[in-house]
Amino acid sequence: MSTNILNVKDLVIHYETDEEVVEAVNNISFEIKKGEVLGLVGETGAGKTTTALGIMGLLPDKVGHVIQGSVELEGENLFDKSAREMRKVRGKKISMIFQDPMTALNPVKPVGDQIAEVILLHDRCSKAEALQRAQKMLAMVGIVPERYKDYPHQFSGGMKQRIVIAIALACEPELLIADEPTTALDVTIQAQILDMMRSLQQKQGTSMILITHDLGVVAEMCDHCAVMYAGELVEYGTVEEVFDHPKHPYTKALYQSIPSLDKDVKRLRVVPGMVTDPSKLPCCCSFADRCTEKCEQCESGDPRIVNVNEEHWVKCFNYRAEKEEK
Amino acid sequence: MDHLIEVKNLKKYFSTPRGELHAVDNVTLNIERGKTIGIVGESGCGKSTLGKTLMRLHDATSGEVLYNGTDIAGMPIKEFKKNYRSNIQMIFQDPYASLDPRMNVLQLVEEPIRVNHKEFSKTEVTKKAQEMMELVGLAARLESSYPHELDGGRRQRIGIARALSLDPDFIVCDEPVSALDVSIQAQILNLLQDLQEERGLTFMFITHDMSVVKHISDDIAVMYLGQVIEKCPAKEIFKNTIHPYSQALLSAIPIPNVHISKQRMVLKGELTSPIDPKKCCRFAERCPYAEDKCRAEEPVLRELKPGHAAACHYAEKFIPQGTP
Amino acid sequence: MAKMHTPAMEKIEKRNAKRKKPVKSTPAYESWKRFKRNPTALLGLAVVCILILIAIFAPLIAPYGYQTQDYSAMMQAPSSAHFFGTDQFGRDIFSRVIYGARYSLIIALFCTIAAFFSGGLLGIIAGYCGGIVDTLIMRVMDIFQSIPMIMMAMCIVAVLGNGIPQLVAAIMFASMPTMARNNRAAILRVRGSDYIESSEAIGVNQVQMIIKHMIPNAVGVMIIYFVGFLAVSIMMMSSMSYIGVGLAAPTPEWGLILNDGKAYLTSAPYMMLFPAMMIMITCFAFNLMGDGLRDAFDPRLK
Repeated sequence: MSTNILNVKDLVIHYETDEEVVEAVNNISFEIKKGEVLGLVGETGAGKTTTALGIMGLLPDKVGHVIQGSVELEGENLFDKSAREMRKVRGKKISMIFQDPMTALNPVKPVGDQIAEVILLHDRCSKAEALQRAQKMLAMVGIVPERYKDYPHQFSGGMKQRIVIAIALACEPELLIADEPTTALDVTIQAQILDMMRSLQQKQGTSMILITHDLGVVAEMCDHCAVMYAGELVEYGTVEEVFDHPKHPYTKALYQSIPSLDKDVKRLRVVPGMVTDPSKLPCCCSFADRCTEKCEQCESGDPRIVNVNEEHWVKCFNYRAEKEEK
Repeated sequence: MDHLIEVKNLKKYFSTPRGELHAVDNVTLNIERGKTIGIVGESGCGKSTLGKTLMRLHDATSGEVLYNGTDIAGMPIKEFKKNYRSNIQMIFQDPYASLDPRMNVLQLVEEPIRVNHKEFSKTEVTKKAQEMMELVGLAARLESSYPHELDGGRRQRIGIARALSLDPDFIVCDEPVSALDVSIQAQILNLLQDLQEERGLTFMFITHDMSVVKHISDDIAVMYLGQVIEKCPAKEIFKNTIHPYSQALLSAIPIPNVHISKQRMVLKGELTSPIDPKKCCRFAERCPYAEDKCRAEEPVLRELKPGHAAACHYAEKFIPQGTP
Repeated sequence: MAKMHTPAMEKIEKRNAKRKKPVKSTPAYESWKRFKRNPTALLGLAVVCILILIAIFAPLIAPYGYQTQDYSAMMQAPSSAHFFGTDQFGRDIFSRVIYGARYSLIIALFCTIAAFFSGGLLGIIAGYCGGIVDTLIMRVMDIFQSIPMIMMAMCIVAVLGNGIPQLVAAIMFASMPTMARNNRAAILRVRGSDYIESSEAIGVNQVQMIIKHMIPNAVGVMIIYFVGFLAVSIMMMSSMSYIGVGLAAPTPEWGLILNDGKAYLTSAPYMMLFPAMMIMITCFAFNLMGDGLRDAFDPRLK
C-alpha cells in the first residue's frame, strides 16, 4: 500500500440529456499523496468541477453518469459505497469548498451553529463541545470567535469564504477539494485567503486539490500541477517541471497568452479558435484543431501518455516524436 | 499635450438609506488622444461608476468632464444624446448579460447604426453592420445566430462591434475580458489593440487585473474608495510604486513563476465603507505605515515626479532611491 | 466522433439521422423545445385544445339543446340516453355541461384580457416609470385588494344586475392587483438587466426601448401569468355563479349547474359531480400548461 490518499483511475464522466451527450471527463487518472497539494488547471468547460463532483459523488442526478473508472480513497472505491456511506465520507474524509461563498452558507442560521452542525454530524460529542470547537475553528480562520452568533449577511465576501473554509476543515478531513476558492474575491483578499489556506494545510497535513484557472495561484500554492483540456489531463508533473519545462502545446500556449507583469510584450500570443465543445469531441487529439505544432498523427488518433521523467508526463504525439529522434 | 478627455473634480454620490455613498469622489484625470488609460482597483472602488458617469449613464453630482474642451457632464442630457452619444461608447463587462437574448447577431450589430443613422436605408444599415462584423472577426455565417449559441469571446466581439459601429473616438471598456478564459482574453486584447492602432481610438480600460492593465495601458490610475490614489505611466507603476495601497495590490498578485518568491505585503481587513467617509486618508485603517496624520487629514493627489502622482502624506518615503 | 461511445449517444445519433435538416435555434424555438419535453405540460395543452374544440362544436356534440326540457325524464341517473343524467326540469346535464364550456372559456378569456389591459398595463407603467408613479399605482392596487372579491361582486350585481359584463367587471376589479404586481415584477426584472443599459449607451430612445427590448423579453413571463390567470377566472366565475351573484339561469354555466344541483346533493349527487369535474379538469389543465410554460420560458426559475 502506498501513501496515496486518493487514486483516480480511468475516470470517464458524461452528462446525458435528450439533446446531447457532453463528454465532460475523459479517461483521467491521477493520484494524490498524503499532504500533497495538486493544482487542477484549465479553462471553462475543461471538466475540472465535474472531476471534483465525481470524486465527491455529487454529480447531478439523472444527468451526470460515471461511465467507467474508480475513485479510491485510502484504498476503498468510493463508487462502491451506498448513498448513506457516502454521506459519512463527505465532510469527514473529503470536504469541498465552492466558488461562491454566498450560496454555500445558510442565511438564516448563525455561522457558529453551521460549523457545529458539521461537527455534530460526524463526531460524537455534546452540543456545547461542538460549539466550542466551532469557535476554535473560527479563530483558526482569522475571525474573532465571539462572532459565532452572527449571521452570514453580517460578514463580507472574504469573511464568508473563511467561514466556508472553517466548515470544510471542521472535521479535519483527509482531503480538501477547493473549487476556485478565490475567484470571486478581490486580489488583496485572495492573498489573505491563500495565505491562510496554505498555513492551515501545512498545519493539519491535509491533502488538497485546488481547482483554478489562475496559473499564478498554482505556482504559489501547489506541489503538483495537472493541466486539463476538454475533459482530459494533457500534462501532469511537479509545479517546477510543468512551469519551467512545459511540454504540451496547450500548456505552452496558456503561458504565452497571459500578459506578464515582469516582461514587456507588445502583442500577446494567441491560442487560435475556441475552446473545444465537449459535446462534439473528435476521436483524435482534442486540441489538434487549435494546435500550432500538430502533425498528421494528431488528426488520426488519440495520443497516449508519454513520460518525460518520473514525475512529469504529457499526452501529445509531438513529444514522443521528438524524444525518439534523440 | 493633446487631451481628448479632461475629468475635473468629478463626483458621483448615491443617496442610500444609510447615508451618502461616495462612489466617485473628486476624481481628476486627463486622457490623451489615441492613448489608453487603465483604471485599476478592487470591487467597490468606484471604477465602473466613473466609466458610466463619463458615458452619462449616471449623472454626475458635481464636476466637469471636458470632451475636446466642451463640458459634457453638465449639459442637458438631450443635447448630449444628440451630439455626443456616438462619440463616446462603452464595452460592457458581462458579454452574457449585456446582449438582448431575443435578438440575433446581425440585429444586435445593426441596432446602433439604425438608431443613430436614420438617413440610412435598410440595405445600407445591413451593409455597415456586416462590415463591422468583419472588422471584429465575426464570421458572416453567424449573422442569424443568437447570443445563447455563442461563447464568451464571440459575444464580446458583438459588444465591440456595437460600440465601434458608431465610429466613436473614445471607448470606455468596463472589464471587457474579466469574464473570459485566458486564451480568449488574449484574442480580445489583441483585437482591441489592433482597432486602436487602425482607428486612433482612445480607451479608458477599467479592470481589476493588474497584468492586463499593464499590458494594454499607457497610463494607469489606481482607485481606492472613490478616489484616485496614484497616477503614472504604466511602466512606472510596476517599477517605482509609491502609494502603499498600490504596493499591496501589486504584491498580492500571484505570479505564474515558481522561482520568484516575493515578499508579500498582506493587507489587514477589507474595504471600509464608502458611505459618508471620514475626512482622513481612506486607506489609513489598512495601511501598515499609517501614522496619526493619516487618520486626521485627507491627503491630496500631488505630483512627486514628472508624470507620477500619489495621494499619500508620506509619499516621499516610498519613492525608491536612486531613480531620477 | 467521440472519445467514448455510449448507448445514450447512439440513441441521439439515431434520432438525429431521422431529422431532415437542422432547425435554426431561436429563443422562441428553444422555449418550445423545452415545453415539448415536458409531458405534463403537453397533457395540459391537449386537454385545453379538446375543451376549445368542445366549445366550438358544442351544437354537434350535445345530443339535446341546453334549454330543452323533457318532463318525461326528470331527475334521471346517468344512462345511455343521458350520459350525465338529467336535472329537475328534465334537461340533459351532458348537453348543458358541453355548452357550458363555451361560456366558461369565453368569459374566462374576456376576464383575463380585461384584467391584463387594466391591472397588467398599470403594472407595466408602474414598473417602467418607477418613483412616485409606481408608489401611487401600487398603493391603489393594495386598496383594491383589501376589498373582498365576493363583496365587490355582490355590490356590482346589486347595482347593475346579473349579466356577463357585470361578471367580467367584478372579476377584473378583483384580479387587477395581482395582475399589476406580476407584470410590474416582470418589467422590473427586464429593466434592471445589462442589455437595457447597453442599449441606452448606443442611444436607443425610450419608445424603442420598450417596444424592442422590454416587451419581447417580458412577454414570456406575461404569457405564463396570462394562462395561469385563465384558471383563476374560471374558478372565480363558477364560485360567483354558484352563490348567485354571477350569471343568471338558465345559462348553462358550470357554477350555475352546480347551483341547480345543490338541493339534490344526497338524492342525485351526479347533478353536481359532472359540472364540478369539468371545472376541476379545466383548471387543472390550465395550471399544468402554465407550469410547463414557466419552465419553458424561464428555465432558471425551476
